[in-house]
Amino acid sequence: MAMRLLVVDDEEDFLRSIVMRIELRGIEVHGVTSGTAALEYLQEHQDAVDVVLLDIKMPGMDGIETLRRIKESHPSIEVIVVTGHASQEFARLGRELGAFDHLVKPIRLETILERIAAASRHNSSSDSR
Amino acid sequence: MALTGLAVALIPLYLVGAAIYVYFAASQEQSHRAQLQNLAVNRSNAVQLFLAERTAMLEALAHTAPLDNLAQPGELRNVLTILNKKHQSFLDLGIIDAGGDHLAYEGPYRLEDRNYGGEAWFEETMVRGVHISDVFLGFRRVPHFVIAVRRDDRPQPWILRATIDSEVFTRLVRSGQAGLTGDAYIVNRDGKYQTPPRFDGEILGQVPFSTTIAPPGVNVVSRETAHGGRVLTAFAWMTSKDWLLVIDRASRESTGPLQHALKIEFVALLAASFLVGGAVVFHTRQLVGRLAAEDRNRVAAEAQLAHSARLVSLGRMAAGVAHEINNPLAAIGELAGLMEDLIDEEFLDRAAHGPLFRDNVRKIQQHVDRTRGITHRMLGFARRMEPHQDTFNVNDVAVEALSFIEREASFRQVELVRELEADLPMIKSDRAQLQQVFLNLINNALDAVPEGGRITVASRALSDTLDVSVKDNGCGIEKEIHDRIFDPFFTTKAPGEGSGLGLSICHTIMKGLGGSLTFESAPGKGTVFMVRLPRTPV
Repeated sequence: MAMRLLVVDDEEDFLRSIVMRIELRGIEVHGVTSGTAALEYLQEHQDAVDVVLLDIKMPGMDGIETLRRIKESHPSIEVIVVTGHASQEFARLGRELGAFDHLVKPIRLETILERIAAASRHNSSSDSR
Repeated sequence: MALTGLAVALIPLYLVGAAIYVYFAASQEQSHRAQLQNLAVNRSNAVQLFLAERTAMLEALAHTAPLDNLAQPGELRNVLTILNKKHQSFLDLGIIDAGGDHLAYEGPYRLEDRNYGGEAWFEETMVRGVHISDVFLGFRRVPHFVIAVRRDDRPQPWILRATIDSEVFTRLVRSGQAGLTGDAYIVNRDGKYQTPPRFDGEILGQVPFSTTIAPPGVNVVSRETAHGGRVLTAFAWMTSKDWLLVIDRASRESTGPLQHALKIEFVALLAASFLVGGAVVFHTRQLVGRLAAEDRNRVAAEAQLAHSARLVSLGRMAAGVAHEINNPLAAIGELAGLMEDLIDEEFLDRAAHGPLFRDNVRKIQQHVDRTRGITHRMLGFARRMEPHQDTFNVNDVAVEALSFIEREASFRQVELVRELEADLPMIKSDRAQLQQVFLNLINNALDAVPEGGRITVASRALSDTLDVSVKDNGCGIEKEIHDRIFDPFFTTKAPGEGSGLGLSICHTIMKGLGGSLTFESAPGKGTVFMVRLPRTPV
């Protein structure tokens, strides 16, 4: 099954670039700029997403709250949280809420692809169980 | 504190000393009074016996020998010689009729023609039969006393009179005196000396006290002398004669043993005071030293706490800055990446500045990578402030610490040598705190080496520990300050350049991690600091 990715980040330049670069590598990807938009997208496109790349620090609903709600409504979706800093507190909180991994910006594209592939594999093996 | 300690220790000692002295003084005085009283009784009895014996001799002579015999020329001389054979105390003998004229006289004075009618002793003898006179001057104007007995012959009574040798009598009385300043003498009821006193007075002179102060019998009193000194005096009234035997003994002589004891006690107390005082001062200084050390440690702990708080604040600030930079940096990186993705390689090859464009896009990404390294180090610094256990390779921490000073070392042409043992086992410890120790030691080494110097960081695994050494070929540490190098606030750097807390904090951190921090140094050659960590199972 092909991997489907949702990127959530309020930094539009970053969002637009990374979505295009991932698309160029043949991965089905969609980008939104807020937690609310992410939840709406997931609601409208049931089972259309395997992995979410989620920025933590966003205006309005922040990444932690978005993560909590995603895991509530779509527990099978793997979430990789991304922050601009390396707080142990966010890492711990993310893990407690069920995040698959925690990355610190700026991140090499290769690293991102590696981690979403790992998350997707984890997602597939969880589903098959 | 030392004064209070001294007072608490010495006051009881002095109180005990004073109590012993008072008790000993009272005991001594009692003993001396008893001795003096015994002496007075003894001497008084001796004097009375002397008078009684001589009176008895004269009585026996007067009542056994007929007047005619005694009055014959030369007879009294024989009698006087016989009497003085055993008792050299009679100066002369005289037989006097009821009218007071001499019937016979034997002695060294020319008294045969003297008439004693009207003399006090004569009248007393005629009335009482026996009389021992007080001392008087007589016809010779020489102080003396007489013993006279009356024989009631018919038709007229007569009197046998003898003058007593004053020197013999005075010697007898003075046998009661003792010591260098002691005195013994006899006074009559009117307070006139009957024997000469040893000091300040003469026979028939007036004594400087009233005889009424002497109660009947034998008594010992303490009294003040005319010169202001104190004497212990025994008064003994005689029963056979209205005389008072006085024996004086100077208080300071009678208290001689007491004074001696006082001197010994004083020396003992002085020695004890020095000992106790020395001990108190010694222990007080030790206590004060310990308190001062504890105070220094407390101040150091507070300073360390404040230092940590500052580092935490700095960490938070670094995290904030890194976050603010990382977001736009990520966008720049992705935009540049996208540019690289989208550009048609063939178009670039044909375009006039195509290769330059491609190079620039890649350089943008390289600079993003470089900046990422900086911000991640800043974030690592922020994370170090939070105590926790990590599993890591000590070599990585050492390399990371070295990377912080690489630029400055390069600028000063200081060579950084890495002698890190490969395949070092992973350990579980606080990575951030260990990095702080390495950073501190490497920074100190950098301060110690001259331009062109060398700093070597080496690691090795032993059976139970992992050792990391930071060695420099700098100025070294003087031997005199080796003991103080880990003390808080101790620094050899110029004022304002070092807090003196760095090595103290490192030492504390290493102890907290279950390891140790030691050093060896040779002045002028360099120093090596050794960090030893326990090999904890991962």
